[in-house]
Amino acid sequence: MNANGHKPTVMIVDDEDMIVTSLRALLELQTDYRVEGFTDPGEAASFAASNPLDVVVSDYLMPKMSGIELLCRLKELQPEASRILLTGNADKHSAIQSINQLGLFQYLEKPWDNQQFLLVIQSAAERARLLRELREKIQDLDSAHSSLKNVQKRLIQAFL
Amino acid sequence: MNDLSNSPAFELHQLASVGRLLTGIVHEINSPLGSVLCNNDVLERSLAMLGELLADPRPESIEKARRMVDTCRTLASVDKIACERIRSVIRGLKTFSRLDANELRRVDLNQQLQDTLKLTQAEFRRRIVVDTEWGELPEVECYPQMLNQVFLNLLVNAGQAIEGEGKVTVRTALEGECAHVSIADNGRGMTPVQQANAFRAGFTTKPLGEGTGLGLSIAKEIVEEKHGGTIRFESEPGRGTTFHIRIPIRQGASRCECERA
Repeated sequence: MNANGHKPTVMIVDDEDMIVTSLRALLELQTDYRVEGFTDPGEAASFAASNPLDVVVSDYLMPKMSGIELLCRLKELQPEASRILLTGNADKHSAIQSINQLGLFQYLEKPWDNQQFLLVIQSAAERARLLRELREKIQDLDSAHSSLKNVQKRLIQAFL
Repeated sequence: MNDLSNSPAFELHQLASVGRLLTGIVHEINSPLGSVLCNNDVLERSLAMLGELLADPRPESIEKARRMVDTCRTLASVDKIACERIRSVIRGLKTFSRLDANELRRVDLNQQLQDTLKLTQAEFRRRIVVDTEWGELPEVECYPQMLNQVFLNLLVNAGQAIEGEGKVTVRTALEGECAHVSIADNGRGMTPVQQANAFRAGFTTKPLGEGTGLGLSIAKEIVEEKHGGTIRFESEPGRGTTFHIRIPIRQGASRCECERA
């Protein structure tokens, strides 16, 4: 759990059920994060439309929608969530392309190392939390600024 | 009859078709492998924790240990499925090993087709549905590696003929003294010119680098010269293509029986 009591939510999307099961077991054993698993990228996208996420881990090759398409959609829906591509194709070209295109947080290859995976997920969740905090602070600052302006206006009016 | 399996054209074509599918095959192995390695590590971590939990008499610890055992059981069964998946891909690849190239063997043709289909699965999975109808076949005497090359070739062609999503249908049936294998796609089909040249060596409709123009001419040679069978097709532009391969159950059976089938 984060310092402010927020439990990060990690979404795992892979058309292979076994990958979702394995990653869920790992995260549930080693973290207290909430884990949402999907084998259908379309369902994952509709879930993301109405549920806040901290980290998204997606496969690359999937039927109906590729990992790149899904992460692109998620970037619009939830820009603060950290996006991770987990792929079985060791294709450096597609990696570089997707990192640039999607603002990927990390590109991981199958088979992955659990220790590294956990570290990546933890820092991805931390990044999402910091971005969200930053947005809240900016909002606070904005509202403080506008109420200050209001007071200033009323003050001027009081003296006129 | 020249020895087809030792000919450079055959070898080149075989390498080209397996190579083209390699990205898919790597993906097909890396996913279950990733799962098995991850599970193994989770099982080790769980076992270490279980020791501590079981030493703690509080009911919540026992409950946690019970849940952990359930998870471990699930992971063990996932491992089994994952290993089976890897094994079937390897079996598909083994059918292309050169060890039995010149060996006439009696094989389960349905099994051979299923193994070969495994190699195209990753390539197809994203957009092509494969329908299969396995007829009851006796063991067929053939050169399995060569026939698998023909099947792979026709399956890859079928996949390439489909733009976007589509369907490939594989059927087998016993027809008299022959095994009948049909591979159909609902892709773009062939024009009359393409149909007339289909079996001619060096003729290809594929972009440079994608087709060797040897596939169907080699397939014809393998089926007809090497096995005394027949290979025919029917095709309609815009509707798709169906290939029919008929192989005598026993080598030495008269060729015309297959022709009549």
